[in-house]
Amino acid sequence: MRIGLRPVMLLTGFVLPVFAQERDSVEMNLRLENIVIVGESRQKMINRASALAVEVVDKKFLQQHFTGNLIQTLEHLPGVSSMDIGSAFSKPMIRGMGFNRISVTENGIKQEGQQWGADHGLETDAFNAEQITVRKGPASLLYGSDAMGGAIEIAQLPPPPDNQLFGEVVALGTSVNETLGGSAMLGVRKDAWYVKLRYSEQHFADYRIPADTLVYLTQQMPVYGRRLKNTAGFERDVSLYTRYHQGGYRSVYALSNVFQQVGFFPGAHGIPDVSRLRDDGDRRNIDLPYNWVNHLKVSSRQEYVLDGAMASWDLGYQHNYREELSLFHTHYGDQTAPAENPDKELAFSLHTYSSSAKLRLFHSSVWEHTAGWDMQYQQNRIGGYSFLMPAYKRMTTGVLWLTTYRPNTVFSLSGGIRYDYGKMDSEAYSDPYLENYLRERGHSGERIEAYRWRSYPVNRSFDDVSGSIGFVWTPDGMNQLKSNIGRSFRLPGANELASNGVHHGAFRHEQGDPGLPSEQGWQWDLSYVGEREGISLSVSPFVSWFENYIYLRPTGEWSALPHAGQIYRYTGAEAVFAGGEASFAVDFLQFNYSLTAGYVYTYNVDERIPLSFSPPAQIRNTLSWTGGHMQAYAELQSIAAQHRIARNESPTPGAQLMHLGASLSLAVGGTKAEVSLSVRNLLNTAYYNHLSFYRKIEIPEPGRNFRLVIKIPFKSNLK
Amino acid sequence: MKTNNLFFIICLMASLSLSFVSCESGDTTRPVINLIEPAEGEVLSIGEEVHFEMELSDNEMLKEYKVEIHDNFDGHSHDEATRAANEPVPFFFEKTWDVSGKKNASIHHHEIVIPADATPGDYHVEVFCTDAAGNEAFIVRNVELR
Repeated sequence: MRIGLRPVMLLTGFVLPVFAQERDSVEMNLRLENIVIVGESRQKMINRASALAVEVVDKKFLQQHFTGNLIQTLEHLPGVSSMDIGSAFSKPMIRGMGFNRISVTENGIKQEGQQWGADHGLETDAFNAEQITVRKGPASLLYGSDAMGGAIEIAQLPPPPDNQLFGEVVALGTSVNETLGGSAMLGVRKDAWYVKLRYSEQHFADYRIPADTLVYLTQQMPVYGRRLKNTAGFERDVSLYTRYHQGGYRSVYALSNVFQQVGFFPGAHGIPDVSRLRDDGDRRNIDLPYNWVNHLKVSSRQEYVLDGAMASWDLGYQHNYREELSLFHTHYGDQTAPAENPDKELAFSLHTYSSSAKLRLFHSSVWEHTAGWDMQYQQNRIGGYSFLMPAYKRMTTGVLWLTTYRPNTVFSLSGGIRYDYGKMDSEAYSDPYLENYLRERGHSGERIEAYRWRSYPVNRSFDDVSGSIGFVWTPDGMNQLKSNIGRSFRLPGANELASNGVHHGAFRHEQGDPGLPSEQGWQWDLSYVGEREGISLSVSPFVSWFENYIYLRPTGEWSALPHAGQIYRYTGAEAVFAGGEASFAVDFLQFNYSLTAGYVYTYNVDERIPLSFSPPAQIRNTLSWTGGHMQAYAELQSIAAQHRIARNESPTPGAQLMHLGASLSLAVGGTKAEVSLSVRNLLNTAYYNHLSFYRKIEIPEPGRNFRLVIKIPFKSNLK
Repeated sequence: MKTNNLFFIICLMASLSLSFVSCESGDTTRPVINLIEPAEGEVLSIGEEVHFEMELSDNEMLKEYKVEIHDNFDGHSHDEATRAANEPVPFFFEKTWDVSGKKNASIHHHEIVIPADATPGDYHVEVFCTDAAGNEAFIVRNVELR
């Protein structure tokens, strides 16, 4: 196991009791029941505390699969998939649910970007993700409306046990898009104070694909130099994390800013035209069309531990700003380019204020209760000459009660109930150019009235109750069985309620329905983990049933808008999701062999067809070897073909990919540098990701990619 | 014993999914458009009829097809508000035809007429076709009006 000089050892439970007693009474009180088993890992601890299937990602995993893109790292977990937009932007999908059905939290605050956007990724600094917990299945009890498919919690490592100055420098280089990236972190722990500052930057060029031509709508288009034109970009992130801890009081303040600027492949924006794909001779430039995002997040947490109780209060503010720029174009003859920022196609400015309070009572070791309240207020403003999303205000608030009954160390029963209330107020926008355009084409007044709204006025409120109940049964140290059944709900998003127009990337007329009811469903899941010396096995099947699952339904009605075929309208349907994950691992000599598999089945009961974006079944076979300071692995990733498609989705063939990697821990000048070299897609196989934004224009995934990561930690003790 | 358990559960999951698959009857196969005329890069004469010819087919039942022709100018030059009275007008065409009740359709007509005052230049011909279930196919052709 690679243990750096930073307090990574906290991840392994056996130092926790000592540390907890000395330094961290809060954690001690909270984890008292769990630390009786000496040597229990954080993974096990969290797994015992939740009746849901949970994956806890440790430092080693993050290091081994580090890509500079967090979601592509998490994709190695069974049941988690990455919805990519080229090489840089990715969105998470858990058990077939993505977009705003998955919540991502960082330092306890729910990340709010534009999760629903098909051509938009998650804005977090991959270098700054030190500890991750993935909750598969309904987490809306904990996080409210948007976590019905699961949650990804990004957290910081606990501070080092003694006073010290520490830090690390990381360098990243990849071949597929010539990434040059790096991150520097400096931290100090001095008595009650703990401060950590990080700066990261990544620059990348157009990425390589293993293809010379693309076939798009029966038109053959060349790929010059086997690179996808204008997919270069850069990212610049800074974050500050401060913690003060004295006795039973603890407070945390976090500040982060993520900036990304990435080009779009011109063939994916507007009608593809060969002339726009010609090599511009510069693979590092970011030309039109491109987008940039800035995500600012400030949060604070106050925590008090009294005798048998803990109270906490979180407060957060986020500003997500995104602009898409594309050479001014219009289909409406009388629309002229705006005088200012003529190429600003669309802009979103989303302000989110959130607050939550929790009271946890653990006076009795048998019965524990948590009561909580949270609220969130969002305001979205829009700009640009062509946008699809409305300006809106959204308020959600919820109260919850969770309880765990633990009569003995073998069995625990936990459940909870939550009530949520939400209000959505979206501003109407009527497009005068569109209105003129339709009038000139001789459309009826009735038809013009139906089409001229680019966003509908919506002023609605929703409320719902969600709940769950489950058990964790650990008959001995070797077996664990968990099961959970829960009901979750989700408020329809602004796009699902109010948008009306052609999605410039998706090429179709997407129409919201202001009368949509909220999404509601039931989920059941089971998880078994068994361990014998050197062998471990886990199986976790699940079934979900939705009374009302919102999806984009092709209506068969022709749109009057230029460049659009039929109208796709957000519609509710009865739906079923089923599937599961399985993994098996065995240690022998210095080797470890592991097999992980995941499968999701989706079914639209009303239409009797699958749902769109069903992740294909996947198996990973990994053989790894550890010897002294070295570690190496070889992996075979088998992706099944996906023929289970929704209407107007294309089936995607399967693929076999080979990955290799090795890492070495080197003693340099009193510290231990970690060097790891890996190659992804060794055979440069051309394949498609069924979930990629570029799938529908038949762009294969990035080709062979060599990746080098060098990490140099350092520390110096303080008195 | 463990592998037996795993095997059992996987079999269970497999049979569960098969039982779902068996009731899947919705059609997700798109119709097929074989657009013969106008061909890619074809020059269409201003003031004349367009020779339009194509084959449509679907695994179940066709519904409708739509033809749209619009300009592919650079987007900056044509501002209708400033256009003089006798200046040419960018050509635009849109029409929907019903082909429902058929699995195959051979289309041949001269219903698209390019008026004499149409602006010459690059245009797109887009053909969309839907089937009864809502599956859609579409094709884009680059043509020139001269």
